[in-house]
Amino acid sequence: MKKLIVYALTGVISLAIGYWVQQQFFSDRAPVQPINFSHKIHAGVNKIPCQYCHIYAERSRVSGVPNVQRCMGCHKIIKTDSPEIQKVTAYWEKKEPIPWTKVHNLPDYVYFPHKRHVRAGVECTNCHGDVPNMDRITKVSSLQMGWCLTCHTQRNVKNGRDCWTCHK
Amino acid sequence: MKRREFLRILGIGGAGTGLGFVLGKVTQTPGAKLIPYLVPPEEIVPGVANWYASMCAECNSGCGIIVRVMEGRAKKIEGNPGHPVSKGGLCVRGQASVQRLYNPDRIKGPLKRRGQRGSGDYAEVTWDEAAAELAKNLSDLRKSGEAGKFYLLTSQLHGHLNQLAANFMSGYGSPNHIQYELFQNRNLLYANQASMGLNTIPHYNIEHTKYLLSFGADFGSTWLSPVNFSKGYGRMRQGEGARGKLVQVEPRISVTGANADEWVPARPGTEAILALGIAYAMVEKGYNRAGDASAWRAALSAYRPKEVAAITDVKEERIFEIAKEFAQTRPSLAIGGEGLSSYENGASGLVAVNVLNHLAGNLGVKGGVLPNPDDPLRAAVDMNKRITALASAAASSKVKALAIYNTNPVFTTPKAAKLEESLKNIPFIVSFSSFMDETTALADLILPANTPLEDWGDGFAEPAAGAPVYTIMQPAVSPVFDTKSLGDILLSLAKSMPGNMGPKLQAQSFAEYVRNGWKELYSKNRAMASGTADFDDFWDKTLQNGGWWSQEPSRRGLSVSTGAASANISNKPAKFDGDEKQFPLYLITYAHPMRLDGRGANLPWLQEIPDPMTSVVWGSWVEINPKTAESLGIKEGDTVSIESPSGRISAHAYLFPGIRPDTVALPLGQGQVYGRYAKDRGENPIGVLPLVENPKTGALALNSTRVKVSVASPTGRMVKMEGSTKELGRGIVKTVSPEEFSKMKKEA
Repeated sequence: MKKLIVYALTGVISLAIGYWVQQQFFSDRAPVQPINFSHKIHAGVNKIPCQYCHIYAERSRVSGVPNVQRCMGCHKIIKTDSPEIQKVTAYWEKKEPIPWTKVHNLPDYVYFPHKRHVRAGVECTNCHGDVPNMDRITKVSSLQMGWCLTCHTQRNVKNGRDCWTCHK
Repeated sequence: MKRREFLRILGIGGAGTGLGFVLGKVTQTPGAKLIPYLVPPEEIVPGVANWYASMCAECNSGCGIIVRVMEGRAKKIEGNPGHPVSKGGLCVRGQASVQRLYNPDRIKGPLKRRGQRGSGDYAEVTWDEAAAELAKNLSDLRKSGEAGKFYLLTSQLHGHLNQLAANFMSGYGSPNHIQYELFQNRNLLYANQASMGLNTIPHYNIEHTKYLLSFGADFGSTWLSPVNFSKGYGRMRQGEGARGKLVQVEPRISVTGANADEWVPARPGTEAILALGIAYAMVEKGYNRAGDASAWRAALSAYRPKEVAAITDVKEERIFEIAKEFAQTRPSLAIGGEGLSSYENGASGLVAVNVLNHLAGNLGVKGGVLPNPDDPLRAAVDMNKRITALASAAASSKVKALAIYNTNPVFTTPKAAKLEESLKNIPFIVSFSSFMDETTALADLILPANTPLEDWGDGFAEPAAGAPVYTIMQPAVSPVFDTKSLGDILLSLAKSMPGNMGPKLQAQSFAEYVRNGWKELYSKNRAMASGTADFDDFWDKTLQNGGWWSQEPSRRGLSVSTGAASANISNKPAKFDGDEKQFPLYLITYAHPMRLDGRGANLPWLQEIPDPMTSVVWGSWVEINPKTAESLGIKEGDTVSIESPSGRISAHAYLFPGIRPDTVALPLGQGQVYGRYAKDRGENPIGVLPLVENPKTGALALNSTRVKVSVASPTGRMVKMEGSTKELGRGIVKTVSPEEFSKMKKEA
């Protein structure tokens, strides 16, 4: 009997460990990107505004991943000796886009426009977390419906609790 | 702890960790890739749609469309709200046309035949190789002085593409450009030319009419310009003033017929005589507003309502009633559609309809028949250039090369035309089709052309809205596959041909050709120039609006003379093939609301939308009156065989009270061999038709045979949406008679 309890306990504990390892090191919350891009250097140390690179945030549904040309705009000159920048240059020379892994991923049935949020004065960090201090982008918000609605309710968004506002 | 026990715990621990990892993995949402642009295109903002105004090419109405394009991909098509023909509406075929662009059955690049002709064995070649092969074949033919043995077979072409094809053919030295489609309005063009001297189809102003007398015109789904007419019909019923009345004369109720106030099921083939009987009744009672009564009475003396009633199976009193209402309701309008024009003497029926409009004073008035301006680029259609002319030329080896574009006559002509066998005599066949079909399967070389959403073009809408409508087609997306515009193919072919092809084929691209053409129109037309700074300004606005149109009506007067009428009408009912005893039922074949003549069959949306009248999905069916079915022992859903002197097909029986007991009807479009969505669905009704064409116009008579129907097998699987056509006392549809309704209104 005692033996069985030990077995069960071992099983449960190891299950939890396995799950935790997966979540912590292999999940999409902070996936390893093809280039070790640091937001901390760009947005934190050098204080580049978000919309300098994410140029569509104010006028489109998506904020836009910076195109490779924009990266090269600076990095033709800046820090060309860094091995990570050389990776970018390699993509540019092959005329291939960089295949980033998506961190903030919404299902197709959610209509989320960046435009409306940015124009309403919602700070980027509100949802994306303290990006200026992140080396690798980590998802800090759940992006679940309840999380959306908390904010919509607090800010008293017009039609903010209507199904049709986000599901259309 | 024993060694064994330690290992056991270790095992459980390992398995648990692995399981936990897997659990974490399967519960997480799969990550997607974010692929940025390398260099962002200037006009594209990801996530924001660009709308391009263009022209729909699913039928010949020339509706203006706007195409929603996101990140370079066409997503959705809507009607252009500013366009005078479509007015923001778009029919089901136009909506589905986006599936033509992305269709998996598209020919993705040039092909050259490797195996036997018709075997479908093709090798992929480059555009350069294919173009060189085509140029070599055509220039060899021209060098040997046989340029006239080159035939170009296309669908009805419009605007500058039509002009370019004509320039190419005259530069090459062949007069043989044949434009063929099953529903090409040849009879209507002929009838209007013969009786009113019109070279274009006029605008039937349904919107403002108050009494619409339709002879087999399914204007709500397929006839001429269904989007424009449907919108107009809505206003006719619920727009200004009193509600307009619709009377539909046809042996089988169409979508339009189902909306009518009155259904007049005249005997098939006698509708023209009924129209003339109504005309006679108008003259006799002195209702006519135009025309000399005594001259018309003499011209129509063979159509006294009493005799007409016996022929048409419509009561004499009803003929007089219709005549009275038609003449006295202002304005009124008579139209003749495919149902009338598809008889062997269809053109004369359409002349009879013009006579009705003339006598009632409906020509050239609001709510009647309004003339359209002439197409600035095209003269009258040459009725002698017909598909049977090609078949007989090919059969006697007078065709050495044939080019095919966007038409599938092997599928739409009866077996008796022997088209397929004749085409096999042609030594060299090239197809510009984007899809494999029964005709393109005979090609030696395939140079796939762009689909309309990838192409330039234009059209001078026919029928327009009673005023000039010039619609432009511009590429909404760049070609999805390795295809080229037909215009570009012809222009580069002309350049690679040795010898002079004339000065009209110098443009570098078809886009430039179209623009130059519009520049010329602009320089000639002052109405186009008004309000624009110069041509560049005009061109930008035109591309933005989807074309150019004006409100300026055509001032042309219309009338029908007794002489023109008498020369074309006939008091003989249309002939039907087959002995009445052996083949007791009339056969009506009609354009399917979604698949039309078959062109929509490979678009999956159009396959899975239930037919509006029968609710049948996929497959083919035959519509039989329940009384006839009972006497033949046919139950709903049975597989029945339909046999005529020309052939036999099978279809599912659909019991339809909206058809005369002596008539059965088959929708066209199914029974194709190619296309993953189109093949293995039903059978082609053309298979039972004899080859009967109107001698004057070359239009194929679709309603030209009698058939017999018998049960082939009592099993069958007909997929339909409706359960029962009867309410079974459930009170689903509450009805009230007009008298009760007006009483209720007074009380309220």
